[in-house]
Amino acid sequence: MSVAFARVGRPALLFVASVLFLGYVLAPIAWMVSSSFQPESEITSVPPHWIPHAPTAENFRAIFTTGEQAVTYETRRQGDPATGHFIPSTAKNLLPSMGNSLIVALAVVVLNLIVSVPAAYAMAKIRFIGRSTSVYFMLTTRVIPDIALVVPFFLFIHKLGLLDNLWSLIITYLAITVPFSVFILVGYFESLPDELDKAARVDGCSRLQALLRVFLPLALPSLVAVTLFTFLTCWNEFLLALMFTQTPASQTMPIVVASFASDFTISFSFINAAGVLAVVPPVILAIMFERYIVSGLTAGAVKG
Amino acid sequence: MARIRFAGVGKQYPNGFVALDRLDLDIRDREFLVLLGPSGCGKSTTLNMIAGLEDVTEGNLYFDDAVMNAVPPHRRDVAMVFQSYALYPHKSVYENIAFGLRMRKHAPSEIDRRVRDAARKLEIEPLLERRPNQLSGGQRQRVALGRAMVRQPAAFLMDEPLSNLDAALRISMRAELKQLHQTMQTTFVYVTHDQAEALTLADRIVVMREGVVQQTGLPDEIYEQPRNMFVASFLGNPPINFLEGKVRPDGDGVCFERGALSLVLPPHIARKVGSDAGRDVVLGIRPEDVDEHSVPRDGEVLHGRIASVLPVGSDQFLGVEVDGKQLFFRVGKELHHREGENVALSVNVNRLHLFDKASGKTLVW
Repeated sequence: MSVAFARVGRPALLFVASVLFLGYVLAPIAWMVSSSFQPESEITSVPPHWIPHAPTAENFRAIFTTGEQAVTYETRRQGDPATGHFIPSTAKNLLPSMGNSLIVALAVVVLNLIVSVPAAYAMAKIRFIGRSTSVYFMLTTRVIPDIALVVPFFLFIHKLGLLDNLWSLIITYLAITVPFSVFILVGYFESLPDELDKAARVDGCSRLQALLRVFLPLALPSLVAVTLFTFLTCWNEFLLALMFTQTPASQTMPIVVASFASDFTISFSFINAAGVLAVVPPVILAIMFERYIVSGLTAGAVKG
Repeated sequence: MARIRFAGVGKQYPNGFVALDRLDLDIRDREFLVLLGPSGCGKSTTLNMIAGLEDVTEGNLYFDDAVMNAVPPHRRDVAMVFQSYALYPHKSVYENIAFGLRMRKHAPSEIDRRVRDAARKLEIEPLLERRPNQLSGGQRQRVALGRAMVRQPAAFLMDEPLSNLDAALRISMRAELKQLHQTMQTTFVYVTHDQAEALTLADRIVVMREGVVQQTGLPDEIYEQPRNMFVASFLGNPPINFLEGKVRPDGDGVCFERGALSLVLPPHIARKVGSDAGRDVVLGIRPEDVDEHSVPRDGEVLHGRIASVLPVGSDQFLGVEVDGKQLFFRVGKELHHREGENVALSVNVNRLHLFDKASGKTLVW
């Protein structure tokens, strides 16, 4: 009985559980993608159409052409029929805001790596007084919720005259992401043997060369993990962006998409099309680094 | 090329731990020096200081006449072989060996020539394109040696390089290392906790304990004339037997007494302890310094009961209980002993060691 269960029952049970879990995780995404190809009239049908009966790309066309349309209280009802005539007044900000998000996220990724890689190497491989304390102190800064930091951050950014400027986001996102990045990298560098560092230095590397020529190539999986974590944090961040940005010049994608839901009228299919676009960059990133992600997330747990 | 000199060198960590206490040591050019001691004795710290991987916190370290205290590792002309080999996992064997030369900006043709030359000497030519994780322990060991060899350094540092190899390979590598030293004509500093390795390889041995040098000398000196009980016990397998007792005047000479046991000390020992008769001492008998064949003479015999018989192929170890203490002796295997038997062993008294009980220092040399 138990042998038969082990051979057939257990895998079957695991399979069913996996399917249920995947369904739970993926159903909202499937609905978002499906509905982004449906007109507003179809999206509200009961029961919902998981597969569009009359698929349309009008939502996307609307996003990429709204730039030329002036959407006002008077004209919005004459909007594109595909969207149910309801294009949000801030629709034309979507593409520029995605550009802003991309600039901020990439800048933070690059600056974050420049700061956290040497910091993590020093904390992992150079013995100094207060070394482990500083690692944990950095991490404790991350248990403070962002909402508690908003006011000090705001005053800081205001004094610097950076309100409504992308730098306000880059600076504050670095403050959020660097400690965690350092923590991940310290764990990984520590898992690489000290003797490797010593061998490199006896072989003729300065500290910096040992880091660049020996540790970085070996730390690739954890660098990918840090890059993804940083990029996604910046790409999704809402609260600080809401506080520091006021105009399309610096607004990021989450702010603009959120504004679609608080307009005069709401087009769910249009919002979902925007959602699909918002998902694209992280997905591309995930596909690019796919083979490093799992090893990066488990880095340090298993001995390399 | 490189004489390495420690002048009152100390190492204290920020937490107050003293890893090395005022070391004075002169490593001669082209010498094979072995630093021997248990873990935590400061031998690796000493080696790392030569490499520049640990700061000198007191005194001066010289290469020839230049003070090296503040010179970083990459500006010192030394190569190092580590216990874990520390090969770069992301580089091929070829690149591992070439790395030090590339960092020092040698011409590519020169690098290629030296790498292939070293690979040929170490018989790892077919492995040059492999990655370290595709090699056996012995092969990795050779690559690590190759990486150090190609540099043609002024000093060759080795930190327990054979500890991770299996026993048979370790013995054959010892011979190769000795040969390598002869062909390379450079200073070797070798760290180990294995006394057999030290005795085989060294021109000179430095025995260390808790950051303090216990004795420096030729391998034979260290083995035959240990300065204290620690050195005596650290070398030899099975280790030397210690028996606590007293010295008493006996006619013209001096004898060692413990219970019913009485051994006449030879003149060279008697001379040293003559005036101190009656003091507490510790007698040291090496396991091989007994003889069963010769007829025991009075004052040179140990009576005991055999507690264990441990054959080891070539010969056998006898555990003999003498006055409530078990001592181990190495005897020929042609002798048949059984546990519980009484035995009388003739002691080679000329090879006895005698230590002061309080200080542990030798009373003989």
